[in-house]
Amino acid sequence: MEAFKNSLKTSSEPVKQFGGLVGIIIIIFLTFFVLNNIFGEGDELVAKMKIEEERIAEERKLNKLISSLPSGVLVSFDGTDNFKLSDELYEAVCKATKLIPQRAIMGANFLNFRAHEIYTINGNKIDETFVKWDDEKNKCFAGFVVSGNNVGVDETVKVSGEALSFLSTGIDTRVYFIKNF
Amino acid sequence: MELLKKYPKLFQWLFLLAVFFALCFAIDVPETYKFIRGQAEFVKDPNQSAFVFLGKEVRYYAFDVFWRLPPLLGWLPIWINDSLFFLMNDWMPMEFWNEDTQEYKTRPLVLQITRNLTAFMTFLIELIREILLGGLETIVAFTSWDWIDANPWAELPGLPWTIVAAGSAILAYKLGGKGLALYALLSMTYISIFGQWKPSMQTLSFILVAAPLSFIFGLGLGVAAYKSKRVEKALYPILLVMQTMPQYAVLVPALVLFGVGDHAAVIITMIVAVPPMILLTLLGLRAVPPEVIEAGRMSGCSNWQLMSKVLIPTARRDILIGVNQVIMVCFSMAVISAFIGAKGLGFNLLLALNQLNIGLALEAGLCISLIAILLDKMSLAWANKQVDYFGNLNFFQRNKNSLFFGVIVIVGILLAYFGSIYFKDGYNYLFEVPHNKGISTADFWNKGVDWIFDTFFVYIKAFNTWLIVDVLQPMRALYLRMPAIATLVLVVGAGYLIGGVRSASVVCGLTLFIAFSPWWDRALVTTYMATFGVLVSCTIGFTVGTLCFQNKHSTNFMLNVCDIFQTFPSFVYLIPVMMLFGITDTSVLIAVIVYATIPATRYTIEGLRSVPAGLHDAATMSGVTKFQRLFKIEFPLAFPHMMLGLNQTIVFALFMVIIGAFIGTEDLGQYILKALSDKKGAGIGLTLGICVAFIGLIFDNLIRTWVGQRKKHLGID
Repeated sequence: MEAFKNSLKTSSEPVKQFGGLVGIIIIIFLTFFVLNNIFGEGDELVAKMKIEEERIAEERKLNKLISSLPSGVLVSFDGTDNFKLSDELYEAVCKATKLIPQRAIMGANFLNFRAHEIYTINGNKIDETFVKWDDEKNKCFAGFVVSGNNVGVDETVKVSGEALSFLSTGIDTRVYFIKNF
Repeated sequence: MELLKKYPKLFQWLFLLAVFFALCFAIDVPETYKFIRGQAEFVKDPNQSAFVFLGKEVRYYAFDVFWRLPPLLGWLPIWINDSLFFLMNDWMPMEFWNEDTQEYKTRPLVLQITRNLTAFMTFLIELIREILLGGLETIVAFTSWDWIDANPWAELPGLPWTIVAAGSAILAYKLGGKGLALYALLSMTYISIFGQWKPSMQTLSFILVAAPLSFIFGLGLGVAAYKSKRVEKALYPILLVMQTMPQYAVLVPALVLFGVGDHAAVIITMIVAVPPMILLTLLGLRAVPPEVIEAGRMSGCSNWQLMSKVLIPTARRDILIGVNQVIMVCFSMAVISAFIGAKGLGFNLLLALNQLNIGLALEAGLCISLIAILLDKMSLAWANKQVDYFGNLNFFQRNKNSLFFGVIVIVGILLAYFGSIYFKDGYNYLFEVPHNKGISTADFWNKGVDWIFDTFFVYIKAFNTWLIVDVLQPMRALYLRMPAIATLVLVVGAGYLIGGVRSASVVCGLTLFIAFSPWWDRALVTTYMATFGVLVSCTIGFTVGTLCFQNKHSTNFMLNVCDIFQTFPSFVYLIPVMMLFGITDTSVLIAVIVYATIPATRYTIEGLRSVPAGLHDAATMSGVTKFQRLFKIEFPLAFPHMMLGLNQTIVFALFMVIIGAFIGTEDLGQYILKALSDKKGAGIGLTLGICVAFIGLIFDNLIRTWVGQRKKHLGID
């Protein structure tokens, strides 16, 4: 050790500087190594991203299908003048739909007094909306959650029902009617 | 081995580069990395990782750390935002008297202070605007709307354009002689007859408030820094960052604090304009010879007298150059602050650029440039002017300029009055040529642009495609391909080899700040664009500078050209390039090149000029050729100075790249622009601004340290 110290002291300035450079590079390496142990998520992230990419690909396929649909109201039942969805299309549209506009929410609230009351009190705020395809029942379900403080009491109401028709804007589809009775 | 001993530095640099490239090749691009994912910051995605710091949740894509560091500073913009929100809405609520409602109202202290400040600024701007253009807001501020209804004569009519034009010519004559007076008269007349009077006066009113206030604050802080080491130390980091901080970035937090409009623009302009004033005041005061200070003390001066009667008058020239810098910054801010609602030429220019009406943009840009050049020349003339001693002059000789101005006011008023009779049914052109009612060349320029496109479309398109596909995209890919560890090793290693451990630590800190922010990829894109601009600018600047230096007349001519180009507000550079290349990265880069070539050329000439004449003679006597003298004597000696030019070129290029976000690019500037329209953008805008400033400071530190050592080595320190 002593000999190493002495050799360091006696070594020339360029050698010392080169040693410093190597030292700095090693410090940077070690720091990155430690950080990688704490924050790195290599393979895990690859797996997650692959699932995400598959989801995006699926979404693109659905979007393509939606853009081929006529604009206007699309229904899943007989007896109206609107575009009638086949069973396959009904499922595809359900899976591609994300939005529930105010019209559908107001319509559902019409038959749910508590939801309507909270929706009015909280300034028409919706906490959460969902559109799901039920594989067992072969039906599309849509709904929303409203919450608010009603005369000092915190209340949360979930409204859910079968999404029977959709509105196609040409760019996306939205739930048009939720049957919650 | 012998070679290694002979050139140890070269060996160290080669080793550093070898490590850098080895790392670049050894670390693969992660399968999941896509540049576009960089845009997903703050967007919730189930694949993102998250951490919570100081109660703020930061979401990010966790790559291999050797490739990209996690954004450990991602909480900073959120924290800045929340702090600003807290300061403005919750901190220290107090009771304040409200004049309008005649009752006390609870308001947070900071909100009250900022509102009072903005009200004061608005009053000042309105006052000057109404002197120049007329109006009644100022009178109403002292009286009431009822009083104005009862006394309609009290409304300020505004000065006719003839008086302002002639007045500026007289002032220019007093400061700089006939040439400057003629230029002032022609510029003002041009502005008027081209229907740009109103926006020009709006811009001028904003500058006439911002510039004096910046001067007062800058001078005060400069004096305080001169008197106290502590103040200087406290100011130093702020001044350093502000020098390289893009002006754009200051807009966003100021928007939150002061709102939208001219008042906010004045405050932001002051924030940007005060640092150069402080620096030049400090420089001037430091340059005062100790003998002068001693003489002042010997004469029994108090501290105040010493400062006001000895130090400031002696440092007058540097301080007035500071004023000149303040005015120039104000003009560049006149356009940028249009983003937050400042009225005037800047707003018109922005509007025209937004509509892609190049002709209108050119007209507005030309007016800004004309006024900027005029005020630049006038302030420089003021700085260089000797004090008049008029002991032997009579009253007329002493006050001839004021008397002339008095006569002009009367003549101008009479002309405006006759104009009101002559142009009874239309606009009184002798009072003010309304906006868009003057002569306009916009159509001509627009047709010119169309002609250029029609005639040269194929060539422009081919050039554009070649530049983007074959040069810019590969270069961008190369920069983005650099793993974080490789970049850090290169930058820190360079810092160590140039300035030792101290320099390495400084650049390491600055680089880590950017690497730990959520915008590392964008910072790489910014750096690539700036690098490309700097490479081309330096090649042009060094060549042109060297060629011009060979002749005295061409040297002076080129320095004058640099002077004029430097006075153009940076936004103006976008107009001609948009005419030629449309809305593309090419336009931004060409604007960067033109803008950044100015300091490269200027510093090359100044550097070559700084070589002592004695050395020229000695070289000539030794029988060297012109070529040998240039390469063996002048270049090595001028190189430190030229490197300072490179430093300035980098700062200029960075500024322009950020401004270029207005017409495209996908760098940090684009995010600053986005932050402008984001309700919670203050923190993001400021952090991004600091990132850009730090890129500039990394180069600044490396270059300045190298220059210092080189000068020491050459014995020219």
